[in-house]
Amino acid sequence: MLKSNVFNKKTRNNRIKKEVREVYLRDDIWCGASSCKTCDSSVARLTASTILVVDTNVVLNQIDLLENPAIDDVVVLSVVLDEVKNKNLSVYNRIRALCSNSLRKFYVFSNKFHKDTHVDKMDKESPNDLNDRAIRVATQWYQKHLGDTTRVLLVTNDRENKRKATEEGIFAETIESYVKSLAQPSLLDLLVQPASEDVNMEDVEDLRPSKRKLIYEEHKPMSEITSGLRRGIYHQGKLRVNRYNPFEAYVGSESIGDDIIIYGRTNMNRAFDGDIVAVELLPQDQWHEEKSLSIADEDDEDEDDVHLAPSSADDAPRTTNLVTTDEQNSVPNRPSGRVVGIIKRNWHSYCGSLEPMPMPAGSGSIAHALFVSKDRRIPKIRIQTRQLGNLLDKRIIVAVDSWDRQSRYPFGHYVRVIGEIGDTGTESEMVLIDNDIDARPFSTQILACLPPLPWSVSSKDLANPIRLDLRDLRVFSVDPPGCKDIDDALHCTALPNGNFEVGVHIADVTNFVHPGTPLDDEASKRGTSVYLVERRIDMLPKPLTEDICSLRADVERLAFSVIWEMTPEAEIVSTRYTKSIIKSCAALSYVEAQARMDDSRLMDPLTTDLRNMNTLAKIMRQRRIDRGALTLASAEVKFQIDTETHDPLDIGMYQIQEANQMVEEFMLAANVSVAEQILRHFPLCSLLRRHPSPTKEMLEPLLRTAAAIGLDLDVSSSKALADSLDRAVGDDPYFNKLIRILATRCMTQAVYFCSGDLTLSEFHHYGLAAPLYTHFTSPIRRYADVVVHRLLAASLGIYKLPSVFQDRPQLTSTADNLNYRHRNAQMASRASVELHTLIYFRKRPTDTEARIVKIRANGFIVFVPKFGIEGPVYLTPRGGQKGSGDWYVDEQQQKIVKMDGSLSYSVLQTVQIHMEVVEPQPNRPKLQLALI
Amino acid sequence: MRNLQLSLNQTQKVRLQKALEKLESVSSKSNPNSCVTVADNIPIYEDGILKGHGTSDRKGELVATVCGVVERINKLIYVRSLRARYKPETGDIVIGRVIEVAQKRWKLEINFTQDAVLMLSSMNLPDGIQRRRTAVDELNMRSIFTENDLVCAEVRSSQGDGSLQLQARNQKYGKLERGQLLTVDPYLVKRRKQHFHHLEQYGIDLIIGCNGFIWVGEHIDARDKMLVDQVNDSEQPITKSDQNSMDLDEQDETCTLLETRQNICRIANAIRVLSMLGFNITLEVILETVNLSNSLTLDIHEMLGSEFYVLVAESEAERRILSKRKR
Amino acid sequence: MEYVSPEGLRLDGRRPTEMRQLRAEIGAVAKADGSAVFEMGNTKVIAAVYGPREVQNWSQQMSDQALVRCEYSMANFSTGDRMRKPKGDRRSTEISLVIRQTMEACILTHLLPRSQIDIFVQVLQADGGTRSACINAATLALADAGIPMRDLVTSCSSGCLNRTPLLDLNYVEDSAGGPDVTVGILPTLDKVTLLQMDAKLPTDAFEDVMQLAIEGCKAIANYIKEVLQENTKQLECRRGL
Repeated sequence: MLKSNVFNKKTRNNRIKKEVREVYLRDDIWCGASSCKTCDSSVARLTASTILVVDTNVVLNQIDLLENPAIDDVVVLSVVLDEVKNKNLSVYNRIRALCSNSLRKFYVFSNKFHKDTHVDKMDKESPNDLNDRAIRVATQWYQKHLGDTTRVLLVTNDRENKRKATEEGIFAETIESYVKSLAQPSLLDLLVQPASEDVNMEDVEDLRPSKRKLIYEEHKPMSEITSGLRRGIYHQGKLRVNRYNPFEAYVGSESIGDDIIIYGRTNMNRAFDGDIVAVELLPQDQWHEEKSLSIADEDDEDEDDVHLAPSSADDAPRTTNLVTTDEQNSVPNRPSGRVVGIIKRNWHSYCGSLEPMPMPAGSGSIAHALFVSKDRRIPKIRIQTRQLGNLLDKRIIVAVDSWDRQSRYPFGHYVRVIGEIGDTGTESEMVLIDNDIDARPFSTQILACLPPLPWSVSSKDLANPIRLDLRDLRVFSVDPPGCKDIDDALHCTALPNGNFEVGVHIADVTNFVHPGTPLDDEASKRGTSVYLVERRIDMLPKPLTEDICSLRADVERLAFSVIWEMTPEAEIVSTRYTKSIIKSCAALSYVEAQARMDDSRLMDPLTTDLRNMNTLAKIMRQRRIDRGALTLASAEVKFQIDTETHDPLDIGMYQIQEANQMVEEFMLAANVSVAEQILRHFPLCSLLRRHPSPTKEMLEPLLRTAAAIGLDLDVSSSKALADSLDRAVGDDPYFNKLIRILATRCMTQAVYFCSGDLTLSEFHHYGLAAPLYTHFTSPIRRYADVVVHRLLAASLGIYKLPSVFQDRPQLTSTADNLNYRHRNAQMASRASVELHTLIYFRKRPTDTEARIVKIRANGFIVFVPKFGIEGPVYLTPRGGQKGSGDWYVDEQQQKIVKMDGSLSYSVLQTVQIHMEVVEPQPNRPKLQLALI
Repeated sequence: MRNLQLSLNQTQKVRLQKALEKLESVSSKSNPNSCVTVADNIPIYEDGILKGHGTSDRKGELVATVCGVVERINKLIYVRSLRARYKPETGDIVIGRVIEVAQKRWKLEINFTQDAVLMLSSMNLPDGIQRRRTAVDELNMRSIFTENDLVCAEVRSSQGDGSLQLQARNQKYGKLERGQLLTVDPYLVKRRKQHFHHLEQYGIDLIIGCNGFIWVGEHIDARDKMLVDQVNDSEQPITKSDQNSMDLDEQDETCTLLETRQNICRIANAIRVLSMLGFNITLEVILETVNLSNSLTLDIHEMLGSEFYVLVAESEAERRILSKRKR
Repeated sequence: MEYVSPEGLRLDGRRPTEMRQLRAEIGAVAKADGSAVFEMGNTKVIAAVYGPREVQNWSQQMSDQALVRCEYSMANFSTGDRMRKPKGDRRSTEISLVIRQTMEACILTHLLPRSQIDIFVQVLQADGGTRSACINAATLALADAGIPMRDLVTSCSSGCLNRTPLLDLNYVEDSAGGPDVTVGILPTLDKVTLLQMDAKLPTDAFEDVMQLAIEGCKAIANYIKEVLQENTKQLECRRGL
């Protein structure tokens, strides 16, 4: 049956355009109930005698509830899915995941295309009403179709829809009453309380103190925002809350070209970190100077009335009144503004704990609690719970639902418990959840993709003509001590003509991970292995990671090799790529390799190889540095972990040795060679890695710091920067490294990308000063390398190119996911380090030396080289009275000076600090740094 | 499907449908499944066949290259295409329109794949004398036929290169005036002995050209006389025809009578209706249609109304059923 | 963008290998020698054939075969926004050429020397797949004009979105930027006379997509044949005799 769907659409340039779309109505859409005789039951999912049809608002708001296994036998109508997709993509993805989960009984019914449930738009019917009617029609159809044996229940929270449904003789209930009927009180906690506009909660009385006073200004309607944006009154951008001061946020606005600063919760007007907001600029006399950006301590939150007061004087950080000399007052150069509307919410679930509170009288009744997120940028969230006693000492996840004008805090609902507060496992899990890392064990489906164990190289592999037998080569690997996932090995043979044959052998992961398998899907979802202090979350299952793929010593392994012929001057004469079989003769650690090279008595062939390689590597490294590659530094620390308790025993900086650099050099070379090869064959669909040059603005803080200490940095090119970094040798040995760390912070992130999306000039890798770069050498722990392996194999004609590469948007999204996962993995590692630092210092308050890296209005941020820790140091007494800040900041000199001039601290200065773990707020321990 | 571009009401639709179904039932019995479309296989029942028009050989099989009806005449198998341009045969009487006056020839559009050629030498001169054509004659060609004139002629021959020669060596051929030209699909016209018809009761000449051009015009006695006269070798017709051409200049003198003009229109409309319905166009059918319209006392313009179409279809169905029974 | 839902339905309710509704009408232009309207869903195309007739431009006349000309145009009202469509823009010139070449390949031009065949196709409603619809309409119009042909040409497009081969793309799917394969075949001879593709497609996926398009062509051929057969039958029986 054919139907036409006619609607008018506004085009980009505001013209009305008529669109006519066909709709084919079908009779082969099945109902999905197994009891149904007429429909094809092979797709049936619904078995119970009560079938739920959910309304859009239920899916949108109660997705956490729907994900609970207690709710099942749900029909999700396609009209609901469409609406959800338009309104909230992440909820859409979640409901889709539910529908495709074979363990759950969720069935998607394409009511739009079914001949009996298709509804036409009636005259003057709003899209919302149309959808509601469609839902009712479909529900009715279900009831009629399934007859009396099954009860079809429409679950809706829309009062109007429910009323009409009841009138039409449909069983309809609100989600609250349905959940109550299930008699599982814990489920009720998952329920989202409707916002005050949508008053459906006849049965749940409002227990909040009746604060009718409006705290926040109303958000402007969308139409007004759009027109305001167009007229340039409002500015659109993403709100980023200051990590050190939750009352201060920035909105990067393209229309202004600068960050707009937003002070105080009132001006932020219920916006969350990450929300896309519309901002209105405040009059210029309310702008604040840059240096007044202060570091606020989190306990300030208790007195946030001060911050929320609308008068701007109070709103400003407390130092303002003192530091405003006339001259500075005349040039307030950074615009500040206030949020007038939120264009797109970035609400998701947050980890944290409940603020301690006395237990209410009757346990099991509804209690209201305040949830404190671990992330300081997130305000407290008000939730209702029936299991307060159970939750108080737990880390829990909470989702945000709404935030009305009368309420100081947003409303949310409990999602689930992570574990006991203070338990290392719980805290680690929080790190993972915060960074969206999937640490679940691999499913049986995925494990089924693995080759049977014990695995060894088969005769079939040996006979395979694409595989070169390199078992007789002296191949070895150099890795950190205790490394189990060895994905690279090397060899170096002197050739009769005086040249060297150097080979980099990478674990042939793609021989085991085939595209389209669950194993591959999972790996691509995980994107990377995550290294936490006490554990490793693998991208691939353990047998692959530690055994089959790992190039361990004295076992035959499959590899993908890049083999160069190099002159003694390390010029590449020729490059070969091949799949191979190798047998590593030694798995060395960096220290061992270094020791062998340094021990001049050793003259065995392996050591000679090492030395040859090292010579070559040094030349290559020098050449790279001459080209302008940056030697950057990071404050990586290493923990010694107690094997029993998993508590850190000692912290130390990571030591880098020559052997590290040698291996790194060959890996870089292999990556570059492979990048060239794949780009040559697949100019449009190669996965490469680029590192954009930092912009002037990004280098600004570095330059300012450098200028303050009288250092002249040339940032015109990476070469110039590298040279000036080399020249920056201060009076103490750590000075250079500190400058390098600061420089590293100014850099952009290197990212994966699909070569078809950018032009060749944008492929440049700034840090390595390489025109092309990719990741090839660690397929066990990075999915990007797996992708590149496949590309390389295809370029050699060994395998067909998997279909992902034919779909550029798909590849782009793969690259985006990899970037996201990569960033998250880094963040998680960092958070894990932070967590363990905390655990370490909990028992060991320490005095140590620190360097000032940033000056703030009421303190400075220090870096502790020994432990790689960074944190704020407050000069003004904390929690003290306002106006006690008798310090002022000298912008030029990057100094903070006491008013009477008796004391001053300048950037990069060494200070002695005391480190100690305090718990100013319950359940939020933090490392406090204080000046001695 | 081919749709009649008519606005019919519901009952008319049903009636027309019924009539057409009747027609189908009448004819389908006569030639079952002999209709083919392009690239259809034509079954061969015997050896040594001759491939005719509209067929071609594909790997030993005979296939149609046009849509139409398979005709088998002895060993010859051909596909008689329906809707197509005119396919001339020598001796066909055709009506054409002068497109171009060229060297010793007129070029006529006769719904053929090319323009037909009427040589000055294949044409009887106005003076009726058989003689060599002089340069003066050539210069005066436009006084005989000029561009856009309608001419009735006979197919003389068709050349190897596909070009077509006409002739008009008879007084019944020549320029057509005072009437209407109708163009119908050539397949609706069947070759007959007589293509010139004088409808005395209406005072009208009707020429059904084999190429689907049909002329309905005022009856001109002179021409018939001329035919006679020519045999008699008399002088009179010449003066008469001279006068005729003179009359052209003084049109009001010999203007066609209103009644004649109405008759022309009535017959023309009858032909239009028949052609629209896709019915075979013969004198009998035309007259029957005209009679039908007269008996219903329809105005001329009403003949093109949808009701009349339905009526014609119904009566045609009746007629065919009757004639079939007779047979 | 999701062009095929996990339930296997496209945006307009079709399944991936389903074609839109076809409709054909012969004889839409009274004055033409042959004409047809062809619809694929909301795509509607009218074609008119004039000829074989005297060659207009004498210098183009060919003594051994017919001259085939084709003009493609889009009606101003054919798309949602009523825009003035300039005549002879690159796109229409290209499509004209494509249609001409495709039709020329099936017309037995050697039987009609010194003549000219004009094919005019105009898009009345555009909803994707106009190229294919034009070719199908032109085939019908040529057959209606009684022009001898080797075989009917039929055309259909297919594409690949969300890694699913889709038959007969409509406008929304067409403008998704995925590959778009237009195939024209001679169904009884089983030969391909037209093959065009936008964007890139790997060889093995291409096979599937093309095969799907060919299946579509065959389905269209069956429909067109039916229409022509019915039309011929009707003409013959109405004519009487």
